Amino acid sequence: MGTPKAALEWHGSTLLRRTVGILARATGGPVVVVRAPGQDLPALPPDVEVVDDPREGKGPVQGLAAGLGALMDRADVAFVSSTDMPFLHPAFVRRVLRAVHEGADVGLPVARGYPQPLAAAYRTKLAPIAERLVRADRLRPAFLFEECVVYRLDEAALKDDPVLAALDPGLDSVVNINEPDDYRTARSQPGPEITVQRFGVLAAIGGPGGHRAPETVRAATVAEAAAAAGVDFGAHVTAALNGDQITRDGQTPLAAGDTVFFLSADAGG
Amino acid sequence: MTAGGYFGRALVVDASAGTSDVLPLPDELLRAYIGGAGLGAWLMHHLGPPGVDPLDASAPLAYVFSPLVGTPLTTSAKFAVVAKSPLTHLLTDALASSHFAIAGKLTGYDAIVVRGAAAKPSVLLIDADGVRFEDAADLSGLTAAQAGTRLRQRLGERLGRGWRVAAIGPAGERGVRYATISHDGRHAGRGGLGAVLGAKRLKAIAVRAAGKVAPADPDAVLAAARDLRARSFGPATAKYRELGTLANLLAFNAISTLPTRNFQAATFDGAAKLAAEDLSAMRQVARHSCASCTIGCEHIYAGRDGRQTRVEYENVFALGPMCGVSDPDAVLAASARCDDLGLDTISAGGTIAWAMECAERGLIDAPWLRFGDGDALLKALDQIGAREGLGDLLAEGSRRAAQRVGQGSAAFAPHVKGMEMPGYEPRTLHAMALGLAVNARGADHNRSGAYEADLSGDLDRLDGGDAHVAAAVETEDRAAVMDSLILCKFLRGVFTDPFTEWASLLSAVTGWDVDGAELRRTARRIVLAKRVFNIREGWRPADDWLPERLLAEPLRLASGRMAGLTPERLRAMIDAYYTARGLDDQGQPGPARLADLRLS
Repeated sequence: MGTPKAALEWHGSTLLRRTVGILARATGGPVVVVRAPGQDLPALPPDVEVVDDPREGKGPVQGLAAGLGALMDRADVAFVSSTDMPFLHPAFVRRVLRAVHEGADVGLPVARGYPQPLAAAYRTKLAPIAERLVRADRLRPAFLFEECVVYRLDEAALKDDPVLAALDPGLDSVVNINEPDDYRTARSQPGPEITVQRFGVLAAIGGPGGHRAPETVRAATVAEAAAAAGVDFGAHVTAALNGDQITRDGQTPLAAGDTVFFLSADAGG
Repeated sequence: MTAGGYFGRALVVDASAGTSDVLPLPDELLRAYIGGAGLGAWLMHHLGPPGVDPLDASAPLAYVFSPLVGTPLTTSAKFAVVAKSPLTHLLTDALASSHFAIAGKLTGYDAIVVRGAAAKPSVLLIDADGVRFEDAADLSGLTAAQAGTRLRQRLGERLGRGWRVAAIGPAGERGVRYATISHDGRHAGRGGLGAVLGAKRLKAIAVRAAGKVAPADPDAVLAAARDLRARSFGPATAKYRELGTLANLLAFNAISTLPTRNFQAATFDGAAKLAAEDLSAMRQVARHSCASCTIGCEHIYAGRDGRQTRVEYENVFALGPMCGVSDPDAVLAASARCDDLGLDTISAGGTIAWAMECAERGLIDAPWLRFGDGDALLKALDQIGAREGLGDLLAEGSRRAAQRVGQGSAAFAPHVKGMEMPGYEPRTLHAMALGLAVNARGADHNRSGAYEADLSGDLDRLDGGDAHVAAAVETEDRAAVMDSLILCKFLRGVFTDPFTEWASLLSAVTGWDVDGAELRRTARRIVLAKRVFNIREGWRPADDWLPERLLAEPLRLASGRMAGLTPERLRAMIDAYYTARGLDDQGQPGPARLADLRLS
């Protein structure tokens, strides 16, 4: 690719920033990034944890061992994602996680013709098993799956979730980027369709009388949404994502179906 | 020598005897408490008999000015009214802005304290000719605005111009426990100060400037005033200037922070009908500024009947969504009715909302009182103002009313320490939840602005923890200084290094070499002094808490996420707050902290 995938530009942000933002939203729990020893990473939100992969070049099972191990004392289940899936949707993450909560050790999507072990849910108790497999040089995820209960989610099972079916009907969540052409193709697509709404003094943008009706725009980040709505996303403006979390971080990733409210930061009175 | 901006003395009036004394206020005391709410807390410690009933004649009520009053600094024409609250039986202070602040200070005192009770309805006059009382029989039953107009006219004809009047309405005369004191259309609103003045049989206090007070460094004050004025026109105040605080309503609804139907929900179906974004275009007829203010946050709306009313978020929230009323004319009429009667809109709305829920549950016999019924809302307000029928119960506030009604109604009485809650949903604002629980005045958004942190995006507003505690402490400290200097909170966004900048203003006015670090210590002293007063008056650790409903009934957000606040989480935040404030696990200060208060 010429550039580490994690640092690839994505609508003013990076692929890694997008991935951790989507996972934080979807899980509500801690987010851990596993990197090669000494690997430079692009800027991340302060609450994202970074752990070093103790052995380089050992593939995905080593990454699983390190990441699941870092979360073992805080979570029963973790969603594991590579950093090169720019269309990963929170609804996809939630659907896959639900499979593990229903009794399996691994929730493994099988979509777009392939199993997706790097867009899957794992019980964190699998960390020691993964560690043992790496030491035995058994480096393929299939070896891990031989030692636990795997629930395979085919496309029909994934789309049983009406929210996922509506917001990611093509299961683009699992599209990954391996070649420069993949990146160019993905990057050339417009951002996801979202809804923005301006409140208070921001509703007056565009003329007297104000305009506070929801608008549909395409934006992959909060900053893009602000620009599309004509909002100067500066010190006196905040954004509320889906009426829930409030942010001043313009790189906060958006996914299809999101709603962004732009509010005056000078609340109160 | 008294510092610039001060007279170094308080006037203490005995309304029973018709006499007055001068209480010297030494420089070191003024430096320790500044003025306004801070100096008021000290005055209550010093002059208030421990355990006194707030409506007893011996209970003091103080109008407290500040060193900045009378300077050209924007928003500085403010004063604090301080007393033991008949609603909470703890300390209350209410700030207001008007020319009363300037005239009152220039009577020659940093505070005017009234004790005792007149033998008959009276007006207290203070000017260069001293202190005297006048008969107020002809003012009885009038609204505060009517009384002020008539009194100014009468005094002007007889004694000359320049009188400024702070008066109570019928609710204050009848001892409604959340009655206000009003002047020039502004209100010292929270905590029932109007009832305290009414208990002294004082319909009004009229003041007229008698002298001048100079700042220590007039040139520096003028330069600071010019700078602050320029900053007050910037984006940090745009919200207040362009739409006013009512701009909160629709935004709060969008983020599930708009208390609705007595906190049974945090979103309101009728919010759009009350939104400033639309109503301002249809109903706004004027925009006004307080005395000495360059922001101009007063947005005046007209009801369908043409009656003009000042609209703010809190009165619309309390009389609208909180009571389930979405008809803007009903809400504007109810707000105007509160002004006429002299009622705190937040406590009135909160108490009526509680009663509406009681009525719908069959706990009280008031079938006419239902959520969403604007006529019922107005009827309830009238009954409260007259203390007639159900109004006599509701005039006591939701805590006392719930104690009398029983049947589990205390669990949904929307108060902290007896004071009804403002329009900030604690379950979706965890820093604010802590601020509401621990504040000395009770449920209050002006003495704890912790919602700023919740709404800033700097922390997770649904996951209260250490950052929320730090935010609650910080905003409480900032409020303590702003309320003592006194500067309007709507100006807070223009300061980038607030304690240092405020210290610079105070230095220019007083001549003290005060810095930001000293002001931070002052803030903590003032916050603690309020707590210690409350402890003296019977506060218990259990009073630092939230209504049961808020800890037992989580909310589902539009995102699907559940928003709740468990008793365990609130307990943990309160414990951490006590630690941060240097208190023990029962919320009590140690001897070293007490010695710093200069109370003995």
